[in-house]
Amino acid sequence: MIETHRLSKVYRRGVYALRDVSLQIDKGEFVFLTGPSGAGKSTFLRLLLCEERPSDGTLVVGGRNLAELGARDVQAYRRTLGFVFQDFKLIPRLTVLENVAFVLRVLGMSSVQQRRRTFQVLKWVGLQHRMNAYPQDLSGGEQQRIAIARALVNDPALVLADEPTGNLDPDLSLEIMNLFREINARGTTVLVATHDRELIRQVGRRAVTLDQGHVAELA
Amino acid sequence: MSALGYSIEQAAVSLWRGRGASALAVVTITLAMFVLGGVLLLALNVERLAAAWRSSAELSIYLTDDVSAAQRTTILEMLAASPVVAGHEEVSKAQARQRFAHLFPDLAGLVPEGGNPLPASIEVRLKPGAAPDAVIRALADRLRSTAGVSDVRYDRRWIHRLLTLAGLVDGIGLLLASMLSVAGALSVAIVVRLALFARRDEVDIMRLVGAPLSYLRGPFVVEGLLHGGLGAILGLLILLAGQAAARAAYGPALEMALGVSPLWFLPVKLCALLVAGGMAVGGLGGIVAAWSGR
Repeated sequence: MIETHRLSKVYRRGVYALRDVSLQIDKGEFVFLTGPSGAGKSTFLRLLLCEERPSDGTLVVGGRNLAELGARDVQAYRRTLGFVFQDFKLIPRLTVLENVAFVLRVLGMSSVQQRRRTFQVLKWVGLQHRMNAYPQDLSGGEQQRIAIARALVNDPALVLADEPTGNLDPDLSLEIMNLFREINARGTTVLVATHDRELIRQVGRRAVTLDQGHVAELA
Repeated sequence: MSALGYSIEQAAVSLWRGRGASALAVVTITLAMFVLGGVLLLALNVERLAAAWRSSAELSIYLTDDVSAAQRTTILEMLAASPVVAGHEEVSKAQARQRFAHLFPDLAGLVPEGGNPLPASIEVRLKPGAAPDAVIRALADRLRSTAGVSDVRYDRRWIHRLLTLAGLVDGIGLLLASMLSVAGALSVAIVVRLALFARRDEVDIMRLVGAPLSYLRGPFVVEGLLHGGLGAILGLLILLAGQAAARAAYGPALEMALGVSPLWFLPVKLCALLVAGGMAVGGLGGIVAAWSGR
């Protein structure tokens, strides 16, 4: 699903965020990306999201070489992904239902289909009863579940998450991880970046450790 | 919903939310379109006035009081032989007096009861575009040196002067309108950019979830189009109100003085073009803001 070969990202003044990273994540896998702050986890996810371009090496996702995508292709590629952010990134002026349905709206789905699919996915994360609430009226755990619902609503083949439990307490973190496990159980590839070693141990999946931009461990 | 529907919806919401700043941008475009519309209105009226004058007498031949029948016949034969003359009308001294009294009733007392200082004349209509100015001038000079003629007035010179002056005013007006249009586009770009910054987080989220470029940029371009369209419509409405007021106040007096009513409004097609122009100016501002925003 994800394949990198000698992938590097260099910022100005020659600072390497990633250096010669070669790894493979198969379709249907659940992989943690871990390491200390500044190890390159977020850079790797930003490259996967096409927020940045690789400086060197190749990055192939689902058969697409991301370095070759134009602006329109990038947007089309992003629509095939699900992405969960540490700070949830929900639109405050939209209701829970609208936040989730928005992804389907830009895909050109009819209003009826949007509501039906959004309700399904909200029910799956257990928040169908809050669909008319606004993000600011929800707890952190609820907001993250809405963000996960939004990442799943278009039925992506790959879900990426950047420190999705960074703002949550340990119980809620495990609850969110269980949701990711359920997503993965349905065949979706999941890549979660986290520095929480205890959480990784509890979930018990493969972990790729980055350190100063290098792959330190491929467990 | 399509990208267009989404863009219109979001642009209307954004326009309403930032109505203070939007009003400023709309006023700038209103001003630009008002000036441009005003220039076009002036050009149109001057052109129609000139056309009306062209079709009326363009050469006025004033006869001496003692002109003989033979001299008058000679003059009429010269006119009949000329390829540039479309027709003529003879005006007797009595008719000249009647006209003067009709046009300037307040000054009728200046013409003494016993005598009539106004000359008899022949008003000559020229064929439109029949000959270069030099040919008509040569005819006027020949007529002027003919016995029985006291003076010849070639009205086309006045039309040329009027058109030259109108052209100068048009040029200055167009320059001003162009400058105001640029200012309008810039102010729209700034206002739309502000709207973009206000919604930056939202736009970033949309970008990250893969919203097509038409959804990302469309609302800002449409917002610019709405600014421009509103500004142009307002500008035209103010111009229409001004024209109606001027027509009510000065229309009859101008019609009497000039012989034709010079206060026409712009044709519908031109109004539509001005609105489209305003929208183009606003849309340009929106495009600049949307593309430079990300």
